[in-house]
Amino acid sequence: MTDVERLYRDALGEVAPMRSPALLEAARARRRPAVAARPWIAPYAGRIAAMDALLAQADDWTQVIVEGWTLHELIAHLAAKDGLVARAVGAPVLGPPVERDDALERTASLQEFELARSPQETRRAWRDQADALCAHLADVDPETVADAMGTPIPVRDHLLGRMLETWIHTDDAATFNGVRLPHPVPEHIHPTADFCARLIPWTMLLSGLDRSDRAVRITLTGPGGGDWHVPLDAAHPAVPYRGEASDAAITADVVEFCFLLGGRGTPAFHAEGDPGLVEEVIAAAPALSGP
Amino acid sequence: MADDRLLHQRIVGGDEGALAEMYDRFAALVFGLAVRVTRDRVIAEDITQDVFVTFWEKPLAFDPGRGTLRAWLGTVAHRRAVDHVRSEERRKVSVLGPRVFERAPVMEDDVLEADEADRVRLAVARLPDGLREAIELAYYRGRTYRQVAEDLGLPEGTAKSRIRLGLRKLADALTEGDA
Repeated sequence: MTDVERLYRDALGEVAPMRSPALLEAARARRRPAVAARPWIAPYAGRIAAMDALLAQADDWTQVIVEGWTLHELIAHLAAKDGLVARAVGAPVLGPPVERDDALERTASLQEFELARSPQETRRAWRDQADALCAHLADVDPETVADAMGTPIPVRDHLLGRMLETWIHTDDAATFNGVRLPHPVPEHIHPTADFCARLIPWTMLLSGLDRSDRAVRITLTGPGGGDWHVPLDAAHPAVPYRGEASDAAITADVVEFCFLLGGRGTPAFHAEGDPGLVEEVIAAAPALSGP
Repeated sequence: MADDRLLHQRIVGGDEGALAEMYDRFAALVFGLAVRVTRDRVIAEDITQDVFVTFWEKPLAFDPGRGTLRAWLGTVAHRRAVDHVRSEERRKVSVLGPRVFERAPVMEDDVLEADEADRVRLAVARLPDGLREAIELAYYRGRTYRQVAEDLGLPEGTAKSRIRLGLRKLADALTEGDA
């Protein structure tokens, strides 16, 4: 840079506008920020904001994206399941009254309700439902067991399930629109990966595989990853790896592993130990995915 | 850059703190580009806010795999500023008839065209003597604050504030509309 260029830059630097509250106010009016939430709620709140970012630039809500649903129907589906979790914890449920605690039934009725409205109204309703859930949970113990959609688990895990599904569907819609969706921040990926590791024994059971006397070590690489000891016994949840013996070890990318549980492809993994067991674990992993 | 990626991830995830950080890091760049093209400080301030608010609204328009945040924001700022100048030109044309004028498409953001550099030198020459001397020593002769103070027989604090005041006056002169 020449002397004059440096002088010019410094002179303009002296009068560059400082950040003002008006900036954040104007930004908020265009896209809502994530609800400022406790750490256990933040991974979900972050994915809601990311889907909202995708919706901010989606101009076609009528093409089928996944499960035979358009973007409009997909957002209604997400709102339906968020609403059933809200219902289970006593948070406000938006839209028509819930008839039964059933994900597909509620999805169908909310889709019918939302398709009669504009995409922007649906976007707002979906976002209002998610934000209402987050706001309500601020004062709730994450270990509180909530029975939603026939699954009585701690509300922390319901929310991680909602995080994973919102993430996966945002990625579906992004891919459809030719947009590259950046990953969640590592602090949001890690609890989600932990949740996925804890789901593994359930995916085995659901696939008709009783391997409750066996255990695997799962090492997930990349930001937000970690190392888990996973007994394939639903009564003994996965824990951070501390040198326990196992029958096999699987190493994979943390995001690809989460997407495997979400039914979106098989990661390029590295395995050691019992190859038959590894194959079973990987094949069973998507068992809980689906609408 | 890894920094860009994380900032982008946070903004997509609705983290307002990340928007504030991004603004603090890049506002001077965006404003500088906008003011160079528009030569109007108030307009450039509006463009600056608009560039960041639009980025917040539609952060997925940016792909960190394809370039830096700095380059992206610079390109958007420049485009907005040129759009503004063009619409002003059109407005003036309709009132005053055509004018033979087309600004050169800039921008390496730190590189000045010859005529721009001349404007800066002229503005320095027009500063009050006390400020001009301090600026010339600091920028044309590469003297430090302390050396400028010694050369002018001033306390260091006074030399420093003369340089800053000189910079502000320069900025004023360079951004008071289409002079």
